[in-house]
This record gives sequence, C-alpha cells and structure tokens, in this order.
Amino acid sequence: MSDPSETPRERTVPASPPSRGLIRDLLLAAAGGLAVLILGLLAVSLGWIDGRRERTSPSADAARPVAYFQPPPPSAIPDGPDGDAIRRGEALFMNTPANAAAFTGNSLSCVNCHLDGGRRANASPMWSAWGLYPMFRAKNGRINTMEDRIMGCFTFSMNAQASSSGGPPPAGHDVYRDLQAYMHFLATAAPSGVEMPGGGYPKVAQPAQGFDPVRGARVFAANCALCHGEDGQGRVNANGQPVFPPLWGPQSYNWGAGMARINTAAAFIKTNMPLGQTGRLSDQEAWDVAAFINSHERPKDPRQTGSVEDNARRNHTGGKTYYGQVVNGRLLGGGVR
Amino acid sequence: MEKISGGEAVFAAACSTCHQPNGVGVRGAVPPLNDPAFMEPAVLTAVILRGVEGPIRVGRETFDGAMPGFAGQLTDQDIANVASYVRRTWGGADAGVDPGAVARARAQAAGAGPWRGGRDLTRVSPALLPQPAWSGPAPLPVDGAVLALINEGRGEALACSSCHGPQGQGGDPIPRLAGLPADYIAAQLDAFAAGRRRNDQMSGVARALGPTERRALADYYSRLAAPSTATPSLDGDRALGERLALRGDWSRDIPACFACHGPSGFGGGPRLPALAAQHPGYTAAQLSAWASGQRTGDPGGLMGEVAGRLSEQDRRAIADYLAGLPSSPATVPRNRR
Ligand code: HEC
Ligand code: HEC
Ligand code: HEC
Ligand code: HEC
Ligand code: HEC
Repeated sequence: MSDPSETPRERTVPASPPSRGLIRDLLLAAAGGLAVLILGLLAVSLGWIDGRRERTSPSADAARPVAYFQPPPPSAIPDGPDGDAIRRGEALFMNTPANAAAFTGNSLSCVNCHLDGGRRANASPMWSAWGLYPMFRAKNGRINTMEDRIMGCFTFSMNAQASSSGGPPPAGHDVYRDLQAYMHFLATAAPSGVEMPGGGYPKVAQPAQGFDPVRGARVFAANCALCHGEDGQGRVNANGQPVFPPLWGPQSYNWGAGMARINTAAAFIKTNMPLGQTGRLSDQEAWDVAAFINSHERPKDPRQTGSVEDNARRNHTGGKTYYGQVVNGRLLGGGVR
Repeated sequence: MEKISGGEAVFAAACSTCHQPNGVGVRGAVPPLNDPAFMEPAVLTAVILRGVEGPIRVGRETFDGAMPGFAGQLTDQDIANVASYVRRTWGGADAGVDPGAVARARAQAAGAGPWRGGRDLTRVSPALLPQPAWSGPAPLPVDGAVLALINEGRGEALACSSCHGPQGQGGDPIPRLAGLPADYIAAQLDAFAAGRRRNDQMSGVARALGPTERRALADYYSRLAAPSTATPSLDGDRALGERLALRGDWSRDIPACFACHGPSGFGGGPRLPALAAQHPGYTAAQLSAWASGQRTGDPGGLMGEVAGRLSEQDRRAIADYLAGLPSSPATVPRNRR
C-alpha cells in the first residue's frame, strides 16, 4: 500500500525471525486463561500448530528455521453469503483493476506487492495486518481503521486519481467490506493486537555505502529486466494481459505510495525479488536497485496541491525518497500520466 | 480425451487463468463473461470449440486478442458442463447446454481454425451484431533457405521436421517448437551448439548451423501456430498440476508456474517459453534435468531453483496438466507500450 511517505509505523520486526517458542509466547500474550485454550485448540485444528513448518529465514544472518502462522487454504472458504464475500474480496485482491475498475488508476493488483494472495510471510501478509487495526498512526494523528488503511492503498498504490471515478472507493463501500472479509478469513485463529513473525516487510538497514541509482541500474539489468522489461514497464502477453507489473511510469504506484520510499522498496525487494529467489540480493544491491527504480518519474502524489517542493516539505520528510530532489539534472515528483 | 468433471472444475482448470475465477476478465485484455448475446448455447459452444482471434465487441468494449479453441482438449460432456456453468453463473440463464448439441457443433467445426473476430461469429447468431470487421494478419514471409533447412536438412543439420514434425508440433519426447519465443529458441540452439545444453540428437544439428541460420529458424518457429498434439500420459495428478501452475506452493517456495510462464502457460516474455501443449515426457524430463544439474544456463538460475523444489510426483502432475492445455496462438509476448 500506500502508506505514504509518512514515517512508517513503528514495527518491531525481529532482525532474525523468532523461533516457535516465541509464537507460543505470543499466543499466551495475546490472550489469557480460557481464551488461550480455545485459541490453542483452534490453532491445532486449523493446522497452525500441527501444520507449522520449518522455513529458512530470509534474513541474511539467521539461517535458523522458523515457523510462521499458516492462513487457511482457499479450499477452506465456506459456502453461503460469508463465503461469497470472502471470494469477492479474494477476487478484488488478485485482480484489482477489473474488480474495482472505477477506483484503480493503474494496472497493479494488491497481490503484486502482497504475494501469494496476501499469504506470503515477509511480504506484508494480510493475516498479520488484520489484527493490528484500528491503529494509531502518527501521520494523521488519529486512530486509523482497516478501511482507512485500504483507502490509502487505493489512493497511492493503485493511483486512484487516474481511475474513472477519480478517487478511492468512498467510505463504507462494498469494496472495503469484501476485502476485509477476505483478510478476516486469512487471519482465522491469528492473535490480534500483536506483531506476528513474518508480518510487514523485514527492514533492511541502510548499508555502509548508502544507496546509488547508478550501481542500481546494473543490478536491475542483471536481475530484474528479464521479467520487468529493460524499460521497467513490465510485460503483457499477446492479449494485453499483465504478466509482470511495471516498476515506474504511468501504470505504476504513485509518488505517495510506501513503495516509492527507497527503504521500503529495499525491504520488499530483499525478501521477495527476483521472484522465487528470496535472499539472492545483498543488502547493498537491494538498496541500490530500490534507489534506481524510485529515481524514475511516476504518477504525481495526489496530496500535492502547490509545488513539488512544498509537498516534499509537508509529506515527504520521513523515509528515504527522491521526491522533490534533483536527479540527473531533473526535479523528480512532477508526475507522469 | 480424459474427462475433468463438473463445469466449475473445468472452468477453474481451463478458463480461469484468462477470464479469472469470477468471470470478470482482465481490463482491456480479456472480455468478461456476462454479455447475454455471447451466453447463448450455440455461441458459447462455438467459441469454446474453435476459439476466436481478432477484434470482437463484448458489452460496450472492443477486444483484440486470441482465445484458443478447446476441441482437442475437452470432451462434449466437459464443454456442455462448462458452458452450462458459465451460463448459469454469469449469464443469468437456467437452461444448461446439451452434450448432443456440442457433438453436432463439433462435427461442423472439424478442421476449422479459430473464428475470425466477432464478425465471423455473427454467422452463429446475428444477435451479436454489430461486430467489428476482421482484417487478416500480415502473411508470414517465407524464406526458401529456412524452409530447406527445416524440410530437407543439410549434412549434419538433419531436417528439423523429421523430428519436430512438419508444423513444429513435436512428438513425445521431442518438444513442440511452434509458438515458443524467438529469443528463447535462439538461446537454446546457441546453448546446444556451445555445449552448455547437451543432447545427443540436437548438439550435432545445432553445431552444423551458422548463427544467422539459428536466428532465422528461431524467428520462423516462433511465428508458427500448430494445434496441440500432446496427450497427458504420465498418470499425473492433474488437479495438483493445476494448483502448481495457477498458485504455486509458496510453503515450498514454489511460485506459480504461470507467474513466469504467463497466463495459460502461453509464455511470459522473450526468455520465458510457453509450456502449454508441450509433450509431457519432454516437460518432465527437462524438470528432472534441472533438478539433477544436467540442464543449466537458464537466465538468473530462475528455473533451476524452482525445478529443484519439485518432487517426482509434482513433475508428472504438472507435465500432464500442461499437456492438456490448448497450444498458444502464434503471437509472441510483447513489451507493454
Ligand atoms: C505497489 C505495491 C503495493 C500495492 C499494489 C498494494 N500495497 Fe499494500 N502495502 C504496500 C507497502 C509498501 C506497505 C507498507 C508495509 C510496511 O510499511 O511494512 C503496505 C501495507 C499494507 C497494509 C498494512 C499492512 C500492515 O501490516 O500494517 C495493508 C492492509 C495493505 N497494504 C493492503 C493492501 C490492499 C488491500 C491493496 C490492494 C487494494 C494493496 N495493499 C496494494 C505495498 C503495496
Ligand atoms: C522471474 C521474474 C521476476 C524477476 C526476475 C523480478 N521480478 Fe519483480 N515481480 C515479479 C512478479 C511476477 C511480481 C508480481 C508478484 C505477484 O503478483 O505475485 C513482481 C513484483 C515486483 C514489485 C512490486 C510490484 C510493482 O510493480 O511495483 C517490485 C517493486 C519488483 N517486483 C521489483 C523487482 C526488482 C527490483 C527485481 C530485480 C532485483 C525484480 N523485481 C525481479 C517477477 C519478477
Ligand atoms: C488464453 C486465455 C483464454 C482462455 C484460456 C480462455 N479464453 Fe475465452 N477469451 C479470451 C480472449 C482474449 C477472448 C477475446 C478474443 C478476441 O479478442 O478475439 C475470449 C473470448 C471468449 C468468449 C466470447 C466473449 C465473451 O466474453 O463472452 C467466451 C464466451 C469465452 N471466451 C469463453 C471461454 C471459456 C468457457 C473458456 C474455458 C473453456 C475460455 N474462454 C478460455 C481468452 C481466453
Ligand atoms: C534427430 C532428431 C532431431 C532433429 C533432426 C532436430 N531436433 Fe531439435 N530436438 C530434438 C530433441 C530430442 C530435443 C530435446 C532435447 C533435450 O531433451 O534436451 C530437441 C530440442 C530442440 C530445441 C529446444 C526446445 C525447447 O523447448 O527448449 C530446439 C530449439 C530445437 N530442438 C530446434 C531444432 C531445429 C531448429 C532443428 C533443425 C535445424 C532441430 N531441432 C532438429 C531432436 C531433434
Ligand atoms: C521465477 C520464474 C519461473 C518460474 C516461477 C517457473 N519457471 Fe520455468 N522457466 C523459467 C525460465 C527463465 C526458463 C527458460 C530457461 C532457459 O532459457 O534455459 C524456464 C523454462 C522452463 C521449462 C523448459 C521449457 C522448454 O521448452 O524446454 C520448463 C519445462 C519449465 N520452465 C517448467 C516450469 C514449471 C512446471 C514451473 C512451475 C512449477 C515453472 N517452470 C516455474 C522461469 C520460471
């Protein structure tokens, strides 16, 4: 999503994902007494505890195996009206431009950044996000509901300003209900109010050499262009159906999106790209290539009312970004359509 | 051919990757399944049997893509089931489609290629009017020297058609070449010639060809469309194959095959070959070859890593599923513009 250039919310992502013991502790911390028992039984019957699996941690220093929460499989979606809402939410998540046509201004879908239908640990999975809302966010100084959060996704990641309605779904719209039904389903038996291992994108500390789009261009050519295209515009097949999403330009996320921050993009890329090759890039390469993709022009920040410089001061002080900076003699942030 | 079962299952296995599980299609690329004129039994049956290419008006939008025909992949009963499912689920109709009617339409369609745009389909039902006119594709330029290599061969460069068939359709365990991307074919011929990819039959052939000839042959085969001649024959679990193709198994770090090889396995880019309608013995053998380190040289090691995570059961399952898909149209993936 989306959430803009605000300081990312404080998330205590462990440097190395914790072991099973911690999950049990989390469970215990999450609930007390009987609730623990029920949660525990649920967890077992849903295969969370029994079905937990070992996985090599993506973070460079920790080769320790770790168990992540297991969301229910698609086959567990129930029949009836509840199930229908979950399936509509899943469809919205997987194929946003067709299912939320009036509110999607680019060719991206939620699943492009929240992999495996929002299930993939360390790709900001929906099962971990669900229990954290409502949440206080420093950005606007108020409690944000999940609906607020998703509205931000549409505004920034889906570039709703370029959609036929010109903005995100209005408050209370069915799009929010259905997406939340799907998230709620994915979070079946997950604890609420706690940070879960595998939530968010594990942060990658800024490396000693900082970040450099010129080095990043080389990383891009060697590791990304095959799929995302030499020009970063992604690829469509003969029918025009997207195969690989664009990384900059008019069909990409806009300047207000979380992914437009170099630190956030580096975190996403380090654990999730190239597709299927977790941990292939070094921290340095992840930062450099993140700097490279985010040094290209993309749709404007919808919050910009005055000049880019003015909006940069108001909305782009947290995180690392090229917004409002001059790169290769060009002021970035003006936007493309 | 083997029966898959009820309409919903046929739809999931054969149609959902393009039309999407809820039938809404892909914005600007694949039409939705809700235009009443197309939901008529005769029209649905005609489209499913023969496929359609070229401009077609659905609802208020015009599409210009290519849908494959399923005459060789689905039985009369399968087609009746899937057409009934589509009609009832999105077409607002109660009455199903009768397998007897499918059989009669099949007899009429025998040997005919895809419908040429919406205009051609109005012969089935005038209710589809108005439809845009069809202007045929540019004719394939035929290079006599290339045809001679294919049909007659030259010394050690044995005639390609003697093994890969007159239309490049192959025959297990010799691969289909028709419709594979030109860059991919050229890279394979170069790899055989340089010894990076080894095969008793192909190595000598490739070494006897000059670089320009290899490129010309690659261009030629990439532009061929040949109906599938593949048959599932490995006793694989096709439902498992379908899951791996459409969703992957992220718990084992296996992305969806179609995430890289494109929806419906029609190819994902110049170096990402089509897999649909490939002969199953060949597909399974390649997957084993990567797993055992015998085949290397895939860009970025992308395929080797994925193949290494597949079990023998997975290989048979996926190879049989892919063999049951219709072949890709002659069009090759292009960069988004
Ligand atoms: C361009 C990539 C991108 C797209 C597309 C995208 N998101 Fe996000 N999303 C992000 C980023 C980046 C974050 C911030 C994660 C962080 O800071 O840890 C985020 C965060 C979120 C969060 C909060 C997660 C948490 O743990 O607090 C939710 C919920 C969310 N997105 C839902 C969605 C939905 C629903 C859609 C589709 C309508 C969507 N996103 C589309 C990149 C994207
Ligand atoms: C093997 C193909 C492949 C390679 C190589 C690859 N990606 Fe991706 N990338 C994808 C796919 C597919 C998605 C969408 C994931 C999904 O929908 O499941 C994606 C999504 C993304 C996204 C989020 C969506 C968007 O468009 O903003 C970013 C950012 C990204 N990739 C960056 C990179 C970078 C940087 C590299 C090189 C280090 C890279 N990718 C290499 C296939 C690839
Ligand atoms: C490879 C992608 C693909 C697959 C697989 C596919 N279709 Fe299509 N379908 C298309 C495209 C693209 C068109 C429009 C063709 C054109 O532009 O000429 C289309 C058109 C149609 C139409 C007519 C227009 C409409 O939307 O009503 C119907 C009906 C249809 N498909 C049904 C099916 C059914 C049923 C299946 C499964 C048996 C299926 N298709 C499989 C891509 C596909
Ligand atoms: C004597 C039989 C034979 C002849 C003649 C032959 N091939 Fe092949 N070809 C094969 C076999 C067998 C394979 C599979 C190799 C393997 O298993 O790795 C193959 C594989 C290929 C591949 C790799 C396909 C893929 O999907 O990766 C290409 C490309 C190819 N052949 C092109 C040609 C061309 C062009 C010619 C004519 C100049 C030709 N072949 C002549 C038997 C033959
Ligand atoms: C991360 C991207 C990626 C994913 C995911 C992927 N592949 Fe591939 N695959 C490739 C690339 C790249 C090649 C081309 C290799 C080369 O050029 O030698 C390839 C080639 C192949 C080939 C050889 C085709 C031929 O004609 O010889 C087969 C078979 C194959 N893949 C099967 C699969 C299957 C089955 C899956 C799912 C389990 C899968 N692939 C998933 C990237 C991928």
